[in-house]
Amino acid sequence: MLSSGCMLVYLIVQGWGPREISVTYKWLSLTLGVHVNIAKQMLYHYLQQKRNESSGTPLHATYLVSGKCVENGSTCHKVSVVREDKLDAVKAKMDMTISVHVYSVQRAELKDSSPLYNTDYDTVKENLKNCNKYSAIRCAAAVSLSSAELQRAQEMALVPPVEKEISKPGLNENTSATSKPSAKQPAGIMGMFASKNASKSQESSKEVKTEQKEDSSLVETSKSKTASKANPMSNFFGKSAQKKADEKPNKSIKEEMDGSSTALATASMKQSQTSPKSEIDIKEEQSKVSNALKVESKDTRNKTKRPEVVDCDDEKMESQQKKRRRIKKPQPDSSDDEVVPDSPPVPNVHTPSPKKQVTREPVSHQEESSEVKRRKRRRVLKSNTFVDEDGAFVTEKGYVSESYSESEEEPEPNSQAKDSSSLKQSFGKRKEEKKEKSQKKTSTANKPTKQPSIMGFFKKK
Amino acid sequence: MATLTRQDLNFGQVAADILCEFLEVAIHLILYVREIYPSGIFQKRKKYNVPVQMSCHPELNQYIQDTLHCVKPLIEKNEAEKVVVVIMDKKHHPVERFVFEISQPPLLSISSETLLSHVEQLLRAMILKISVCDAVLDNNPSGCTFTVLVHTREAATRNMEKVQVIKDFPWIVADEQEVHMEEAKLIPLKTMTSDILKMQLYVEERTQKT
Repeated sequence: MLSSGCMLVYLIVQGWGPREISVTYKWLSLTLGVHVNIAKQMLYHYLQQKRNESSGTPLHATYLVSGKCVENGSTCHKVSVVREDKLDAVKAKMDMTISVHVYSVQRAELKDSSPLYNTDYDTVKENLKNCNKYSAIRCAAAVSLSSAELQRAQEMALVPPVEKEISKPGLNENTSATSKPSAKQPAGIMGMFASKNASKSQESSKEVKTEQKEDSSLVETSKSKTASKANPMSNFFGKSAQKKADEKPNKSIKEEMDGSSTALATASMKQSQTSPKSEIDIKEEQSKVSNALKVESKDTRNKTKRPEVVDCDDEKMESQQKKRRRIKKPQPDSSDDEVVPDSPPVPNVHTPSPKKQVTREPVSHQEESSEVKRRKRRRVLKSNTFVDEDGAFVTEKGYVSESYSESEEEPEPNSQAKDSSSLKQSFGKRKEEKKEKSQKKTSTANKPTKQPSIMGFFKKK
Repeated sequence: MATLTRQDLNFGQVAADILCEFLEVAIHLILYVREIYPSGIFQKRKKYNVPVQMSCHPELNQYIQDTLHCVKPLIEKNEAEKVVVVIMDKKHHPVERFVFEISQPPLLSISSETLLSHVEQLLRAMILKISVCDAVLDNNPSGCTFTVLVHTREAATRNMEKVQVIKDFPWIVADEQEVHMEEAKLIPLKTMTSDILKMQLYVEERTQKT
């Protein structure tokens, strides 16, 4: 079994097969119909074999590392996909390394994580209903929605007007769109991005590092990105969090984290962790959530599916969050032998089972309910003129989802977002919105000094 | 289940739109993977449901968009044979050429239900191939630049010169130096065949790059 697996990996990596020259363990498991742990072992043995031979093409591998570490004084469980050359460094940073296994093998040295996602995409899509068949995580309470429940969920989903439709979700990395430039060579426009994101990271009170597997290791800016992304998430769930957290960023984060299992898992776990409700209530919620969303795989998250649980409002979540922010990522592909962290066992039982998209629903739902309480948003065509860094007048036009309430949002980052969004029309409106929103989110953190008082444009009614 | 022929202008436009969108993403990705520009100007965006790297630099984006805007009418009329992204070293000698050979099937009937998702799948595969292509290519010297060439059938360029598609964005006939590469190695990357378009991507690489 192992040898045939190794043979297959060999063929693929040599580029002979119809597949691309990158093999992830998930793809291997689904293609061969084996348990994920066996697939991981296959990759490992193949790697050993090839490297012992010390001939021919060099192979590169990525690893999934999970363990405990202390960030900002709070212990958290961190899961990341790292390149081989960074493996030791990442392991050293962790207090306790819980699991390490081969994530993928390829011939090319990967510059970023997109090929990893791309590799899995088609295979997972084909096996949508049972892409967890070979995984190591099980939950008896997780069952598919019946069609009646599905209908109800869809109806509920149509209610919030500001909901954006996402036709094809996926575990995509577009979440990193906003902050990737921030940490790198800031200059001109980039400088704008950088200052916003940096301040946003600083202000994040709860630094929930999303377990964006691919990003955390392969993209250096992941730290700022995840922090900035996590901020609205954590704000969202914590009542005591800054009130000025926008809905917009939450929504953008929600969309951005479409397939981001980890972030969503975190959110859901946080929800379970921080809720003052009894454990039983939490369990109910979670099981409902997981029931509602079992069907969805990470790739076909149907945005209209919503849990019937209306209870997960953030008014019930008082943000005590003494407990750790970072929860064990309920990845379906985590190994069985991983030590379960000391989170309350009850919620843990339920949250790992749902697919990665699961937690998106409570997120979006919460957003929506809190939106009703907090602010209204609508999309308006805005045109504003301002003086940019170089002292030039810039006029930007674009659709912006605007908040009615007195928000400290600065139009300038909006404009910047709009500017780039107008240039990138062809890449999908949704991307633009995400960018805008995350820009808007970052803007709440600080006030650019160069912005003249232009808020008159934005005060409606 | 519409049956469209290539004579149907709408169909030609649809194919051209899809192809130009893809070429834009592909060019950005090539610039990222081959490190023509520093990776700081790129950010992840989503296309065909997978993450791709696109540049944020407005002038670069504008240049690429203008280029493809001019190429699109050629594709619509099926006059474009190849679109080539040439990477040149400091002396303007090409070191790599990413050749997209495109053609459209003459007559076909498409069932719109599965067509676009199938095409999307194929384009996704091409993007994946581009993003891992540095396994098969040698490293480029530093200070490379890029340019886009279009090989057209027959005399389509004469028409192009008469009608400038975009003002102040003229196209000129390429130098021999840019078109031909000495000691070229051919590395095929990917082929795709679908109802609305056929495309082949290969790389011509100079044996000695420095």
